Amino acid sequence: MFCAGIDIGSTMTKAVVMGDELVAQVIGPTGAEHRHLANKVMEEALKRAGIPFDDVACIIATGYGRINVPFADKQITEITCHARGVAYLFPTVKTIIDIGGQDAKGIKIAGGRVVNFVMNDKCAAGTGRFLEVIAEALGLKLNEIGELSVRAASKAKISNTCTIFAEQEVVSRIAEGIPIEDILAGLHEAIASRVFRMAEKIKIERDMVLTGGVAKNIGMVKAFEDLLGYPPLIPEEPLLTGAIGAALLGCELVKKARDKGEAFERGERRLEAAKFFQ
Amino acid sequence: MAEEKKKRAITRLESSALVRPLVNKMYMEGAAAGMEGRPVAWSMVNWWEGDIIMRAMDVTPVYPENYGTVCASDGIAQKYLGVSAAEGFPTHLCGYAQNTLGYSTEMKKAGQVPEGAPMGGMAKPTFMLCSEGFCDARYKWFQSLRQFWNVPVWTLPFPHPAYADLSLQDVHKVNVEYMAVELKGFIEFLEKLLGKKLDRDKLKMMLDNQEKVFKVWWDINELRKARPGPMHARDFWTMMVPCYYLAYDPETLAVYQQVYNEVKTRVEAGISAVPEEKYRLIFSELPPWHSLGFFDKLAERGWNFVTESPGYHPPPPMELNGGGDLLQRIARWTYWSYVNTGYRAAKMGYPTVGGAQPYYNWALEYKIDGILTHPLVTCRTATFWLTHSMNVLRDKLDIPGMSIQGDIVDLTVFDAATALNQAPAFEESMEHFRQVRKSKGLDW
Amino acid sequence: MTAKGLAKAKEIYAKRDLRVRELNAQGKKIMGYVCAYPTLEMVTAMDYVPFKILGSMDEPITKADTQVPTIICPMLRSMLDLGMKGKVDFIEGFIGAHTCDCTEKFCHLYQYNMEFPYYHFLDVPHIAHEASFGFLKSGMQLLQKTLEKHTGKKIDTDRLKEEIKKHNALRALVRELYGLRKQDPPLLSGSENLQIMLALMAMPIEEGSEMVRDIIAEVKERKVGRPVKKAGRLLLWGSPLTETSIVEMIESLNDNVVMDDICTGTRHFWPDVEITPDPLDGLAKRYLNDLKCPRTFRETTASFEEDQEARFGYIRDYAKDWNVNGIILQSMKYCDTHGYEVPAIKAYFDRIGIPAMYLEHEYTMVALAPLKTRVEAFLEMIV
Repeated sequence: MFCAGIDIGSTMTKAVVMGDELVAQVIGPTGAEHRHLANKVMEEALKRAGIPFDDVACIIATGYGRINVPFADKQITEITCHARGVAYLFPTVKTIIDIGGQDAKGIKIAGGRVVNFVMNDKCAAGTGRFLEVIAEALGLKLNEIGELSVRAASKAKISNTCTIFAEQEVVSRIAEGIPIEDILAGLHEAIASRVFRMAEKIKIERDMVLTGGVAKNIGMVKAFEDLLGYPPLIPEEPLLTGAIGAALLGCELVKKARDKGEAFERGERRLEAAKFFQ
Repeated sequence: MAEEKKKRAITRLESSALVRPLVNKMYMEGAAAGMEGRPVAWSMVNWWEGDIIMRAMDVTPVYPENYGTVCASDGIAQKYLGVSAAEGFPTHLCGYAQNTLGYSTEMKKAGQVPEGAPMGGMAKPTFMLCSEGFCDARYKWFQSLRQFWNVPVWTLPFPHPAYADLSLQDVHKVNVEYMAVELKGFIEFLEKLLGKKLDRDKLKMMLDNQEKVFKVWWDINELRKARPGPMHARDFWTMMVPCYYLAYDPETLAVYQQVYNEVKTRVEAGISAVPEEKYRLIFSELPPWHSLGFFDKLAERGWNFVTESPGYHPPPPMELNGGGDLLQRIARWTYWSYVNTGYRAAKMGYPTVGGAQPYYNWALEYKIDGILTHPLVTCRTATFWLTHSMNVLRDKLDIPGMSIQGDIVDLTVFDAATALNQAPAFEESMEHFRQVRKSKGLDW
Repeated sequence: MTAKGLAKAKEIYAKRDLRVRELNAQGKKIMGYVCAYPTLEMVTAMDYVPFKILGSMDEPITKADTQVPTIICPMLRSMLDLGMKGKVDFIEGFIGAHTCDCTEKFCHLYQYNMEFPYYHFLDVPHIAHEASFGFLKSGMQLLQKTLEKHTGKKIDTDRLKEEIKKHNALRALVRELYGLRKQDPPLLSGSENLQIMLALMAMPIEEGSEMVRDIIAEVKERKVGRPVKKAGRLLLWGSPLTETSIVEMIESLNDNVVMDDICTGTRHFWPDVEITPDPLDGLAKRYLNDLKCPRTFRETTASFEEDQEARFGYIRDYAKDWNVNGIILQSMKYCDTHGYEVPAIKAYFDRIGIPAMYLEHEYTMVALAPLKTRVEAFLEMIV
């Protein structure tokens, strides 16, 4: 049996096809407001897996753009999907911290299931967006700033909690002659400690896994290590955990139906562009 | 950089230095009582209603509200606020409450005063005493502390009659009698908890002293009506603590009597608290404790803060009828501290202006040129009336207002530099309105 | 107004002043009030139609910021704003009460701005001791005095007792209506229930009773419009909701909201008044002691667990009786009364094994998507 999971984020869409193990994975652009490229990502994943659309037993959509996806059978929140995906990759996980471009989440797991969660989707200062804004202000690439930050001799303190004001502060610190590495180290620490404080609401316990695009940033990983006192576990491909979890949950739903002697009820299954946000 | 000492713009009262030892004594008492296993109560300011009774029964109050300012200055408040947020308390709650909740979480975890807690921390309470007075945080926060301390919480009554009722003496009677009945219950509660009887003679002696303290502290502040103002708000804020917390103590009376003499001398000699009093101002609500040097900068420009929000002031001489029953006397003073502004305004024929009443009264009586308000991000109670108060002063008395945002424990909110930049513009405003008042026949 | 039953409730929900303006035009006098504490029995005994002054989650605030800072309760800001815009010009006056900090101050500020011919402020103690009931009783006596002075009428004990009976009759019908959501699926949705409650707060008492009677019959009969069976049976706790947007959002997911403990729901209607020889005794006891709201300080007892039981035990009873499997705790930003409760109430439900989650919102109809994700994830967790 093959199941597919598609995680439609605000900028990137991630799709996987799973059988007994991961068969195909694709990461592509969402296509802005109307997600008109999300189905292309799904098609590509199916092509790479070599599986026809109708043969997929279950397709689950998750993420920011999970609503009204014509080719998905069901939608499940990214909280539940991330938890499932990470638990698959790291069976000993108790806490997940996920930092995306637009939000940050803390998820507590017990017995492989979500038992508590906390989210920040109001304030950019605890998300990947903060890094983007600063990188742009400094004329650097997003994938450069992590490496630069770990070379810091000492961390500069970023006092402003607001992304907009922090940007101004960073520019003036550069003008003062503070090394860019130090500023970036301070920046990474600022984000990590904001997210850490949020996650403390669900009481961080080991094993702790860091996911989301930001987990590829070596500076963020180090900042978390400094706060935790131990290194967090990182998946090989931190962007895919939501889609993996979605696919696995899909397989579970199909199995559950079969155990009851029923057929899993599919959705409309139209492999076309998703249209409007509700 | 400069070798010579910079001359302070505000001429502080010499006698204000006498207050420091009293305040230190208060902190040391709390720490000592905790270490020696004597009864300690976490208490809120209850406007002289409950502390005097507790003290008469040898319970040492410890004030988390006050401790909040200590933690804020020390810098550890940010940590405690983070801990409180991690416990699930919303971050818009009173900063002092969040600080205490975070501190208590840490103390409970550590099993003792947590590492890094300034000034020896706060000892574990025997019980907690809160009040209905003025703000809801006052009882909700202590109720929340129950999560950490398995000790009783007692709430003191504090009626908040509507301003319209204030002229009715029988309304006062009912309110005060109710409070006295509750105080009787409070005493029974304490006697049972502590296993001893209240010494009423001791209580009466403390109350007699307290009334004298009210009188002298009130008289000192009346002297500030003189032009130029002899005593700056900075001195008031330093010196308000003993009256608030130690009014029953003869040492407090002795200190205030010295203060009175010094202020009286200044008035007679026409000595001003600032080099050249150009503007007389009221400061509204809690000051930015950590940035009091800000007022010196303003004093250099001739800004003399001649009075401040009445919530911290002692009650004026008693005008409510009532007998000598001890508990009713105590209750009456607490009650009077709340109703006096409306009562006196009605007596003087001032217009009824809701929560702006105290500012209206004093703007007239102290001949104020401007009001500086300090809205506090986590204190709804102290901030609610500020917009309205500025409106009333401007609309009814032609007195302008300026606002600088701050917070009670998040010290990063207050931006002294920006505020000082606005000073020249506000001075123009004050000059302008001075002319307007003159043209309307007012004498300031 | 010709609509009946659910249709009537929906019409009045959509336009809150619909019925009271109609009545006012016919010569009836309308008395506004704030929160659940003003003694409504006295209001109707004086032949006023009571109208609960509420905010609007829909109307942007444009005038109130000239009077109050933005860090206060958003609903009260909205109430001030609507008043300043002339939306309650049909009321002769209003009765305020010392319920929470901001409400207390709002009442005085509101009167300063609106200058109604009648304004009375009821000082309700936060403590609920025996002496406190006597104190509230004296406050009610004062309210009676000012009402009598203003209207030139006197109310006697018998009239007041009659009114109590009428109000109790409505309360009993409301409880009966809520009872129809004990079944699975419930006979009406949480959203419909909220519309009905809000409509009741904008019409005469007996008319309200008639409407509820009609609705009870209607929902038992109807074949179309019934909620469907869903896995989640939720109880909603917290600050007042004046529009159905948040409830609708919750019910769009795999659940029905079958019970509540909010100011514009059971808190307003639930307990009856015991008819005592001096009716004010029964009234004082009902409003201060029996009305459950976090603004009242319940006696703390020997342990934190007993304390929680005293404060929240009644919600556990609701949950049991309505077969609830999840609790949504909600409050608006800047609400201290509910804000302080959150950790203790959440810990209570964790301890007794009923899953609970907390949503803080900004008292608006927009930007509900993030809240929806949280509720959705909560449901995925519990069912």
